[in-house]
Amino acid sequence: MNVSLFITCLGDIFYPNVGKSVVEVLERLGCEVDFPYSQTCCGQPAYNSGYHGETREAARRMINTFENSSYVVGPSGSCVAMFSEYEELFHNEPEMQRKARSLKERSYEFTQFLVDVLNVTNVGASFNATATYHKSCHMTRLLGVNDAPEALLSEVDGLSYRKLPNCENCCGFGGTFSVKMEAISKEMVDEKINNIQSTGADLLIGADSGCLMNIGGRINRLQKPVKVMHIAEVLTQREVK
Amino acid sequence: MPMRIGADPFKDRVEKGLNDAFMRNSVRSAQERLYGKRLDAAEELGSWEDWRNLGEEIRSHTLENLDYYLYELSEKMEENGGHVYFAKTAEDANHYIQEVVKRKNGKKIIKSKSMVTEEISMNEALESLGCEVIESDLGEYILQIDDHDPPSHIVVPALHKNKSQIRDVFKEKLGYLNTDKPEELTLFAREKLREEFLSADIGITGCNFAVAESGTITLVTNEGNARLATTLPQTQITVMGMERIVPTWEELDVMISLLSRSAVGQKLTTYVTALTGPKATLEGDGPEEFHLVIVDNGRSNMIGTKFQEALHCIRCAACINVCPVYRHVGGHGYGSIYPGPIGAVISPLLGGYEEYGELPFASTLCAACTDACPVKIPLHELLNKHRKKMIEGKGLTAEKIAMRGFQYGTTLPILYQVGTKLAPFLSLPFQTNGFLTKGPGPLKAWTTIRDMPAPNNERFRDWFQKRQKEDLGE
Amino acid sequence: MSEQILNRESFLSSLAQKLGRSTPKTVEIPKWKHQPQWEVLKNTSQDELVTVFKKQCETIHTDVIETEKEQLADVIKERIEAYNGNSISTWNDKRFDQYGIFSKTEAMIHAWDPRMKDNVNVAEQADIGITFCDLALAESGTVVLFSNEEQGRSVSLLPTTYIALVPKSLIVPRMSQAARIIHHRNKAGEFPATCVNFISGPSNSADIEMNLVVGVHGPIKTTYIIISDL
Repeated sequence: MNVSLFITCLGDIFYPNVGKSVVEVLERLGCEVDFPYSQTCCGQPAYNSGYHGETREAARRMINTFENSSYVVGPSGSCVAMFSEYEELFHNEPEMQRKARSLKERSYEFTQFLVDVLNVTNVGASFNATATYHKSCHMTRLLGVNDAPEALLSEVDGLSYRKLPNCENCCGFGGTFSVKMEAISKEMVDEKINNIQSTGADLLIGADSGCLMNIGGRINRLQKPVKVMHIAEVLTQREVK
Repeated sequence: MPMRIGADPFKDRVEKGLNDAFMRNSVRSAQERLYGKRLDAAEELGSWEDWRNLGEEIRSHTLENLDYYLYELSEKMEENGGHVYFAKTAEDANHYIQEVVKRKNGKKIIKSKSMVTEEISMNEALESLGCEVIESDLGEYILQIDDHDPPSHIVVPALHKNKSQIRDVFKEKLGYLNTDKPEELTLFAREKLREEFLSADIGITGCNFAVAESGTITLVTNEGNARLATTLPQTQITVMGMERIVPTWEELDVMISLLSRSAVGQKLTTYVTALTGPKATLEGDGPEEFHLVIVDNGRSNMIGTKFQEALHCIRCAACINVCPVYRHVGGHGYGSIYPGPIGAVISPLLGGYEEYGELPFASTLCAACTDACPVKIPLHELLNKHRKKMIEGKGLTAEKIAMRGFQYGTTLPILYQVGTKLAPFLSLPFQTNGFLTKGPGPLKAWTTIRDMPAPNNERFRDWFQKRQKEDLGE
Repeated sequence: MSEQILNRESFLSSLAQKLGRSTPKTVEIPKWKHQPQWEVLKNTSQDELVTVFKKQCETIHTDVIETEKEQLADVIKERIEAYNGNSISTWNDKRFDQYGIFSKTEAMIHAWDPRMKDNVNVAEQADIGITFCDLALAESGTVVLFSNEEQGRSVSLLPTTYIALVPKSLIVPRMSQAARIIHHRNKAGEFPATCVNFISGPSNSADIEMNLVVGVHGPIKTTYIIISDL
């Protein structure tokens, strides 16, 4: 199966290890992974700030980049969900709308692809940790990916999983919200961190780089003893017990 | 009380909210309780998504034919012997209500809970005539006694107050002598308000839904105050936002089922009271005279625009009860009697961007609101549409220039290449242990509260390219 | 336009303009794509509806007693005594005499009388209000009351305790069936009442710290008596 990796800009610049892990897991499961180099950013930062015109050109680029891919897989639900907004951006260009719809139909968030397309929940990972999982809002609500991450984590050997209280609440990232409304954002992320710590977990797992950058950045600032990892990084672990 | 609450700028209001530990605690526990109750109510009903779809269908059909249904409602209302006044503005509405009150020589007015009367500052208009206006919803009553403290939630208006604060207010203003037990406080208010109900000349209510086919208005309460306000006074005035209407009783059923479940997690609220005109001649109770005031006050500006769906709102507050921003800021932070996600959508539409322009940005667009809405208003999308509209209305700002830069950066690969390649070096001065702890521009706002991972020296694409070359080399 | 309706034309024509058309002469209500309301308690027997009704009453803090016509007078007497009722406000409903409902109690019975002026005060002073219901809803534990000159609104509202008599045959699955009945009666030109009340238990409020307090403006205690052979 041929898969085009949609790395996302955060993944490209800040979290290359996440991308490497995605490649490793996909290849282990027999996928052929390619990386179209002309990809940049999905346009979400501009779009969610109200700059829809500026987003359109980023969208056009992404649509063309992945035009010939049979599957597009990205390690961030929020960015993959952004593809769903493209169609509306091109309301004056029916051909682009068609292409946008096609891109949406071929695109999957990483865990969604594993569970729904490859029908795999056990990827043979083992990792000794007590972990909790942060449900990202866009991934669950906009993309509808609800159970895939937990299904995958439940099969990781050695991983003790703790449910996160109030997991439905946003971590306070929200793109430019995090810098425009930093006072509110801080309270949101602090509550999230308190909830994480209340589980006794020493590892926070997420599936969206934006959320992880926010929560991880705050954890680092507060020097809390909680490690932060992307789910792809967890799924490549082969710790011997 | 007008729609706008407090004169402080947005940042100060937010700060005040964030520093109010009691308020935040009570909002948190209310949210959690209501969240659970609403989910239980939805789950117990089974096909909740079908219910939401039906709710959406009914609301959009009704709004698409709003003029027709308002016409039908007024015809029926006239047939039933009621009066109908169509008020374009708050002033129109208040003027008419004042005229009715003067003609009836009304001195004491008892009200049941109504957001639209708050929005149009009706109480002030009546007080200026020398009338005494008494709120009878327990929460509203508490706020009124406490020198008109503004509401912070559209269903639970005194959510921000704790019981000892309430005891102190009752003690100071009304000579209350008992403890801060909610039961005792409530009993005290019951007795006080019963006297007021029995001696009031005029009852004023809001309207949850009017039923066009029969000229009926319905009131949904748990306390029974709307029943008292429409049973005892001789004159009844009902004020409704023009969109609060359903075609027939069959749609009324659906909307009330959705409202009760979404607002308080009940199958039905304790009372649903449906009033069709004034009392019949021989009836021993109920109003002799019935006036319905249908208020536009800016609502029609949404019709025919991308914001029309905001008029589908049935004021259940489900979006408020799940909003993570409301959770921390509280109702007063929004500076509007309509707080939370729906407030952030409609306050700017009713009161303008000048006053409420910050509200659409006070959201992470997490879409919890959209998910919770029983009539499927795409609230987070409407917030984004506000952002777009405001940005298009502005000239060239620093942010706009930055976003242009973003556009070039994402569309011209060479710029993206160079920009992302340089990032690690440019950020070098700010790095400690692989994290950025301070920096210029947006990085500054980011790093006031959290660290930023340093850009990696080897981007993913560099790694992938290298790997590909190695593979080819083998 | 009559004086009973003011400002209608300009108001509605501006709406029509914004909707991009003139006001239609008739509007057909579409057949809704989703109709989950008719699936709730579908094909449920009357006995099962009673079970659902009673179960829901636990949630809404309402006592339920099931009895037959024969025992009604005894049950009423017992309930009135349990509530320490001396003065009872009721509707002017011939069924009270027909079934001898008050034949055993010693409390003072005040029937609503449209010829008297002080009905409301009598109800306000009464300890207990007792009425039949016109319909009942199983799902929500609701009694539906139609008011008219013999059936005052105050009786179920002003006394501190309220007792509703629920003939078993009047229990329907949920509000949908009641709304449909009212809808059809309206269409037939027989709208049932100036005031229709759907009552589900005693009044309550959670306005103080979200703590549920039973008993605010309306009755503080409520009992439903299901009459199984009516």
